[in-house]
Formats: sequence, structure tokens, C-alpha cells
Amino acid sequence: MGSKLHGIMAEFDTATELVDAARAVRDAGYTKTDAFSPFPLHEIDEALGIKRSILPYLIFAGGVTGLCAGIGLQVFVHVIEWPIIVGGRPHFSLPAFVPPAYELTILFAAFVAVFGMLFMNGLPSPYHPVFNVPRFALATREKFFLLIEAKDEKYDYSETRKFMEGLNAQEVFDVDE
Amino acid sequence: MANPENYKAPAEIGGLRTVALGVGGIALLAVAVGAYFNTEQAIRSWLLGYIFWGGLCFGSLGVLMLQYLTGGAWGVVIRRIVEAGSRTLPLMVILFIPLALGVYFGKAYEWTHLPPDDYSMVHRGAYMTSWFWILRSAIYFALFGIMVYLLNKWGRDQDKAGTVEESRLILERASRFSGPTMVIYALVVTFAVVDWLMTLDPHWFSTIWGLLFVAGWGLSTFCFCVIVLAWLMDRSPMNAVLGKKHFHDIGKLMLALTMVWAYFNFSQFLIIWSGNLPEETGWFLTRMKGGWAYIGIALILFHFVFPYLLLLKRDLKRQAKLLASIGGFILFMRLVDMFYQIGPTPRVDPGMLEKGAFYVSWMDFVAPIAVGGIWLWWFLGELMKRPIVPANDPYFEEAVEHGQGH
Repeated sequence: MGSKLHGIMAEFDTATELVDAARAVRDAGYTKTDAFSPFPLHEIDEALGIKRSILPYLIFAGGVTGLCAGIGLQVFVHVIEWPIIVGGRPHFSLPAFVPPAYELTILFAAFVAVFGMLFMNGLPSPYHPVFNVPRFALATREKFFLLIEAKDEKYDYSETRKFMEGLNAQEVFDVDE
Repeated sequence: MANPENYKAPAEIGGLRTVALGVGGIALLAVAVGAYFNTEQAIRSWLLGYIFWGGLCFGSLGVLMLQYLTGGAWGVVIRRIVEAGSRTLPLMVILFIPLALGVYFGKAYEWTHLPPDDYSMVHRGAYMTSWFWILRSAIYFALFGIMVYLLNKWGRDQDKAGTVEESRLILERASRFSGPTMVIYALVVTFAVVDWLMTLDPHWFSTIWGLLFVAGWGLSTFCFCVIVLAWLMDRSPMNAVLGKKHFHDIGKLMLALTMVWAYFNFSQFLIIWSGNLPEETGWFLTRMKGGWAYIGIALILFHFVFPYLLLLKRDLKRQAKLLASIGGFILFMRLVDMFYQIGPTPRVDPGMLEKGAFYVSWMDFVAPIAVGGIWLWWFLGELMKRPIVPANDPYFEEAVEHGQGH
């Protein structure tokens, strides 16, 4: 190994420097980027040009699926497969179907939310190359890091490295794959 | 500390007040003429307007305590607005007089005319007498009055506070007061709406009735506050205070309360539908027939489904004008909802209408305008009296900053 690089990483002392650098990276046209900070930075999404996640739409679709599944299940059981009279009500009694259908709506939406979030983040991830940089452990304490991945279309080792060094960074690292 | 004097309400409010009073005054004259020809209908329509606009007054009191309990930036930016809303209480007492007179002279509410051996009257005894009904309403107003007085007094003290410590102490006092008082508030609302609205149909009862109004009035208040905030946002000084995030937060609360409203209403329906007992189902059977059925379906679609789906969208909640128009739409549906509750109830004059027949009077449109015009005139006057934000609140700067965030 060693010959193949995951990307190039720069270290910063303050959140402001990170955000400024992220803006410069975005304006230079890099898209396969990531930023690491000890605490949430609300500006970073905009600074890196990260698009809004499609997860909310998937959750909505999950909710609608749950609603249809709930109604469908009860219609199948109570109307088609095994119709019995309960409390003198018609087989198809929508008011009674609402609570289970509602619960399934929540359940499916919650499943999509949790598992969709994990999947789209690529989690669980037992190995990640960024930890090959020893100083990266400081990302959970006091330092801020910015990464450009090697699979970025604009990536070119020497050029990207030079660009990163011009970003007012403390230090620039090669990240081994 | 910031100087509250820098946050005076915009002067344009004065012009709005004149318009509100003019429109309300003309509508009031029309209702007065209507009352001469058909007193009972006038009182019923007045009740419709009273419950809708009164909901903003009583709801403001509830939201005022809620924001002291939860904290948060949304509470800081709407605090002075809901305070002004709660200070319309004296007006609500004045506007209550026609209802009290209606009960006293037996011009409204079927129970004032029921024979003493009617089963709904036998067990209620002295509780369902005109004088005790009026006395109870006076007690509700007195209890609301204590809450309104204390919370507004502390708000004023905070504006005058000289140091951060003093201001923090006042905030803590208001928060501590709001916790237990919230419970009393919910109980008072329950008793009040049972008296004012549920007794319109003396043979029917529902145990979730009070919560329906706690939630519904809360929803009305948030919708109204969003409209006020959207208007203030274009003007100094609030243009420097309000941000997208504030609207986003209140939008989320509107979404939550839209769902709570639907949840409580459906719970009431499901329990009665499941129980299938004659003394309960009549209320819904009337409302599932003829014109009432269409209003019921419209309520499901436009009081719940439509605003619910719109409010799910994040971008929509962050645009002040759009959110305010949704708020206006929900407020209109709140009025329709109140009409759906009040309209089909039995009337005193048996010759007038067949029981439960679909009927909309012209006064059902005019009376809410009359009450609303006067209410807005009073509310805007109260809004102008004090700085428009609690600039001395220890969390004020934080709350302003929160609004500008992403």
C-alpha cells in the first residue's frame, strides 16, 4: 500500500479558517470533499456546497408505504381473507383501521429514517482511511480538518496538494488508502 | 443590556387599528339590527365569533406560559405578541355580556328551557342554572385574569430591570409560575368550553372536549402570531430581530398542533363510533348528514390533510409570507371548525328550525367580523403599549442570533 492515496487533508486551528478554506475548495470546483470538526458547524453545508439530502423524501415515501400497507393488511384480513362480524360493524370499517394504519405509517417512516440515514452515510464503517493520519484524532478535540478525496474529478496529486497548502492550513497530509 | 426603548412597535399599527375598529363597528351595527329581528341567531353567531377570537386571547395566555416553560428563541420573539393577546381579556369579559344575557333571559342554550324532569337536568341540578352558569364564567375570567395580570406584570418588570441578574430572576419566577399554572389553565379551559359550548347540546358529552380547545386555541395563536410576525418583519425594529429560523420553529409548532387537533378529534370520533351508544352518537349523526357532512369532510381535508402536507416541507416553513398565508388559511378553517361545533346544536325556538337542519345565517359571517374588528383594535392597542420584544431578557441576544442561523 502507501502508493495509493485516499486523498489529501489539511489541518486548521479555528472553525473560521476551516469554513473559509471550505469555501475556497468549493469555489475551485472540488465536489468529493469532507470537513471534520469537534462540534457541529452550521455554515459548513453551505460552505462546502453540500446538497440537501434526499432522505426526507424517502421518509415521506416510507410513511405513505406504511399507510398503504396498514390499510391493505386490514382490508385483506377483515374483508377478503377472513371476514367476521365484529361489534355489528361492516367488514370494511375505516375508523377502526385508522389506528393500526397510523402506527404502520410511523413505523415505516422511522425505519426509513434510521436505516436510510445509516446507509446513505455508509455506516457502519469499521475502517476509514482518514484515521491513517495520526493527528486526525485531534478532530474530536480541538482541530479542524478538510479533506479532498482522490476520486474527485478535479483531483491531481501535485496540483491539489499545492492548492491545499495555499489555504492557510497548519499542515497538509497525504491520506493513505 | 439592550435598551427596550429601541424596540418600539412600528407606528403604522395606529392606522390598522382605525381600519379594524371601523370594520368591526359597521359589522357590530349589522349584528345589532340582526339581534332585533332574531335574537337567538344573533347570540349563536356572536358565540361563534366569541369562541374564535376569544381563542386567540385564551390561547395567547396558554402559549405565553408554554414558552416560559420550554424556553427557546421562538418564545422570546413572540412573547410580547402573546402578552398583548392575553391582555385582551378585559375585552373578552365585555364581549361576553351578550352571551350572559342570552342565558339569563333564556334566548340561547336549549338547557335553559328543558323541563326539570328531563334526564339531562335531573342529575345536574343547581349546576345547570342560569345564575350558576354566569357565576362560573365569572370565576373563569377571574382565574384567567390573575394569570394574565402576573405574567404581564413580570414582563413589564423585566423591561425595567437594571441588571442581568434582576432580569434572570424575573424570568425564573415566570417560569416557575407557569408550570403548575399550566395545569390550572387546562382545567379552567375545560370547564369553560364545557359550559360555553358543550352545553349547547345538553344531552351529549365528551371527555376530550377541553383538550380539543387547548390544542385548537394553541394552533390558532401560533397561526395568528406568524401573521403578525410576517407583517412586522418588513418593518423596523423587527427586521433586525427576526430570521428564517424563527419562522421555521413556529412552523414546526403549527405542524405539531395541526396533528394534535386531528388526533384529538379523531380520538373523540373513534371512541364514540366504537361505543355506539345512542346518547353519544347523535352528535356525530347530525353532523354526518346533509350540508354538515360536507363541512366535516372539508375539515378533514383542509384543517388537517392540506396544511399538514404543506407544513411538512422545510423550505415552506422558512418563508415568512408563505407561512403566514398558511396560518391565515388554518385560521379560517378554525372558524369553520367552530361553526361545525356550534351550528347543528338544538335551538331554543322550536318553530325556527328542524333539529340539526343545515342552516347558515348571514350573521354567522358578520358576527365574527364584528368581534374580530373590535378584538384586533384592542389587541393592536395593547401591542403598541410596550416594546415589541423582551430586549432585557437574558436570552434575547441568543434568540436573535438563532434566527439568523441555518
